[in-house]
Amino acid sequence: MNSTATDKVTLERGKYQGKSIPRKEDRRLLEGQGSFVDDVRRHAMGYVHFVRSPYAHARIVSIDVGPALELDDVYGTLTGDEVAIATDPFFQIASPPGANVKDYALAVGKVRYAGESVVAVVAATRELARDAADLVEVDYDPLPVLVDARKALDSETTVLHDDAGGNLSWEGVYEWGNLDEAFAEADHVVKIDELHFDRFNSTPLECDGALVEYHRGTEQWTIHTNNQFPGFAAIMMGPALRVGIDKLRYVTQDIGGGFGNKITTHPQLVALCLLSRKLKRPVQWTEWRTDFHQSMSHGNERWFHGVEVAVKADGTLLGFRCKALDDAGAFLRYEPLGGVIWAQVTPGLYRWKHVRVEFTQVMTNKAPVSPNRGYSRMQHLWLTERIIDIVASQLEIDPIEMRKLNYIKTDEMPYTTPNGCVYDSGDYERCLDIALDLVGADTIDARREEAAARGKLLGLGIGSTLDSGTNNFAQARLLNPELQFSGNNEVAMVKLDIFGEVVVTLGTTPQGQGHETTASQVVADTIGCTPDMVTVRPGHDSYWNSHAGFSGTYASQFAVTGLSAVKGAAEDLADQMRRLAAAVLGTTPDGIVLAEGMATRADDPEAALPFMALGAIINANNAGLPPETEDITLNARYVYRPPFDIPDMETKYGNLTLTYATQIHACVVEVDPETGEVEIVDYAAVDDCGTRINPQIVEGQVHGATAHAIGAALWETFKYDEDGQLMTANFYDYHVPHALDMPPIKTGSIESPSPFTPLGTKGMGEGGGGGIHCVGSAIQSALAGAGGALVTDSHNPSERVWSMLRDPQASRSLVHVDPAS
Amino acid sequence: MNVSGTRKFSSDPQSVWDVLNDPTELATFLPGVDTFEIQDERNWTATVKIPLGLGGLKLKFRFEKIEERPNERAALKANGKGVGAVISVETSFDLAPDGDGTSMDWAADVQVLGQIGGMGQRVLQPIVNQQVEQVLAALDERVQARAAG
Repeated sequence: MNSTATDKVTLERGKYQGKSIPRKEDRRLLEGQGSFVDDVRRHAMGYVHFVRSPYAHARIVSIDVGPALELDDVYGTLTGDEVAIATDPFFQIASPPGANVKDYALAVGKVRYAGESVVAVVAATRELARDAADLVEVDYDPLPVLVDARKALDSETTVLHDDAGGNLSWEGVYEWGNLDEAFAEADHVVKIDELHFDRFNSTPLECDGALVEYHRGTEQWTIHTNNQFPGFAAIMMGPALRVGIDKLRYVTQDIGGGFGNKITTHPQLVALCLLSRKLKRPVQWTEWRTDFHQSMSHGNERWFHGVEVAVKADGTLLGFRCKALDDAGAFLRYEPLGGVIWAQVTPGLYRWKHVRVEFTQVMTNKAPVSPNRGYSRMQHLWLTERIIDIVASQLEIDPIEMRKLNYIKTDEMPYTTPNGCVYDSGDYERCLDIALDLVGADTIDARREEAAARGKLLGLGIGSTLDSGTNNFAQARLLNPELQFSGNNEVAMVKLDIFGEVVVTLGTTPQGQGHETTASQVVADTIGCTPDMVTVRPGHDSYWNSHAGFSGTYASQFAVTGLSAVKGAAEDLADQMRRLAAAVLGTTPDGIVLAEGMATRADDPEAALPFMALGAIINANNAGLPPETEDITLNARYVYRPPFDIPDMETKYGNLTLTYATQIHACVVEVDPETGEVEIVDYAAVDDCGTRINPQIVEGQVHGATAHAIGAALWETFKYDEDGQLMTANFYDYHVPHALDMPPIKTGSIESPSPFTPLGTKGMGEGGGGGIHCVGSAIQSALAGAGGALVTDSHNPSERVWSMLRDPQASRSLVHVDPAS
Repeated sequence: MNVSGTRKFSSDPQSVWDVLNDPTELATFLPGVDTFEIQDERNWTATVKIPLGLGGLKLKFRFEKIEERPNERAALKANGKGVGAVISVETSFDLAPDGDGTSMDWAADVQVLGQIGGMGQRVLQPIVNQQVEQVLAALDERVQARAAG
């Protein structure tokens, strides 16, 4: 692995921030001492198995749970009819017609995708529950199936949700700038009939799961879960269960990956809550892999139709317009938020001033979508990158030069996009140069010739992406003005205990991002001790960890929201420590230096108190303290609230996210013209996420995001047949790249600190699908000399590449240049 | 999945029809039948074990005769339910004299739903082809045996 030197950082860091200290979490994880949801056990608990629909669309005629209940040690069942009586439908984010969708914890009256939960069975063992579930008799009356979102709005198409009056969930028009002016000024208009972004997800190692206990005396549930956004789960579950959210206690320690896929488990959690109350015993559920693939958290599939790009003869991009069609699957579990999240990166990395997107989202008989690493921005960024490569090919412009010509420049930062988002900092051109250098782009012609001599087609590709982080939740109002969401927040508490222990609790739910490590680095630098002296409590317990409405770990924001909250709390604690030491040592707080675990008089190094003494004084030896110490608790809570306003509803103009990390990926591929097999022979990922607290953790996330993206580009797809059956519901058919599949990854980095965040940090880790873009780009480059097929799909397995080689005109016919160049 | 074909028999249509129209005899050469029960002249049930590459798949099948024209045509509908799978089959047989023998055009629409369906898709086509071939060979054998008395 290669790595480039890091820039000198402009914001002052401390002694430990910026260092790749070993992760605090790794000892327990590597020794097998992590505590995951499936490790939680309770006396007399029952195991849950869900009976799932084999049909993609059918009416439920009858359900007979009798044969299952006759088995010994089967504790009970739950059906959709019971759910419909005991709960209200989940709150819908959408305005009508999507708002009218009725979504429950189990199917009520009808199933709408293959794999939907119909009945839950509880038994003494996991295996028995599964066997008993097989005995549940469900009679279905099959209905026509809608798989292709492009047919969802046809008049004769079957309707999933009668209450919604059709398959439309949400639609809206976004237009900024002056499209007429842009197209009048253009020398060429490049038209692309159709582009398709494929359906896949991020496949966490640990599937979903929970153990739920109901406390009859307090009427409260304790939910041990790996849900990654308990704040959202509570908002969904409390009203559905008809209780206040303080009746729902969420507890988690270690989570085996989330990637957004673990945000929308609220239907299963509600079913478990009902079962634990009904059966008067704790219930435990660990999802099977096939169930996960079949029913949870697919990424949004999206089409772009009628793409028109206004471009000058020299390659200057003026504007574009298109229609986006998004497939939400059968239910709107987090949707239609994908209908606005993409707008965080409206122009991509480019200086387009005029953009129009007509966005339509529909429902189909497929698994519901939910956030998936790079949620919704990835699809839109893929569009912008495809536009660049396709326009460059049509106008015979070097795609590297075209990118550099149109990139937003460093001296334009902070840059306000056409829709009012503010790109905080970055140097795209420099990142691209580093990436090109790492893959040896200057030798590409010679390598192409050498590969050709071996019968291979060689191509160079680029993926330029942004990782927008720290959402302004007011963007949800662009979808539904009635929503009362805006801004963002996160909480941390830092305290100094009686024996001098510094203890941190977070509002976040880490899933492998190293929160314990980076939080300890920030605290250590802020109060003057070592990270070893700081204990960051692992995981999250909503009864004991202070938290806010948007607490959780999602959408590239911990380094901003989480660590800013930690910094704020640590600064408050440090202030209290200085004031206490000043009172004891007879000086002013300004005259106290906190360093090396000591509070010392600046003018008298002999006058010093160890942190332990400060902790002991306040907690156990506080008689006779002077009145100015009355408010000192050495227990600091801080809520970080990023500075946001509410966007203008009419013009859809305003800042939607706080930070924008940059990823520029470049790769070299070789294509076998006989088989279409693609081999990545060189790969580089350059990341700029502002100030890095722990570069090794950043690099780990870059590697993970790259692997996810390469998998999506070449192997991973959720493919349905015409009956709505998922053909890739297991690891045999859904190939996640192994270590052996991955090319050697060269990484580079620069640091453009964010001027908008307390630490100069930016959210990162999602990667914007950099690998999807650059692999597709490289395939198109490789095929340029063999028919010149154009890449119009995000997923390009060998069979598709083979078809492109055999019939290049099929993709070329989708693109037109007016007037022809 | 749709499969179809034509099979020649050396016996006349009446002999072929007699075998096809006798569910008890039919059950003896349908693949993987563990138990077979006649409900009435149009409805039967059976438990069947289907080899699906990843192990045997046990299903409870309900057969319903949906069309019948003696010596000419029969159509059946079968619905099977098992662990993680639902299989539905609609099949038809059209008989016509062919010299001294019979020509039978057959067709089947096979639908496999559920988790096993997804897993079994890769192996389904060759398995269906193999099973069909075995059934037709067994049918030929029974027809000849019956003709031989």
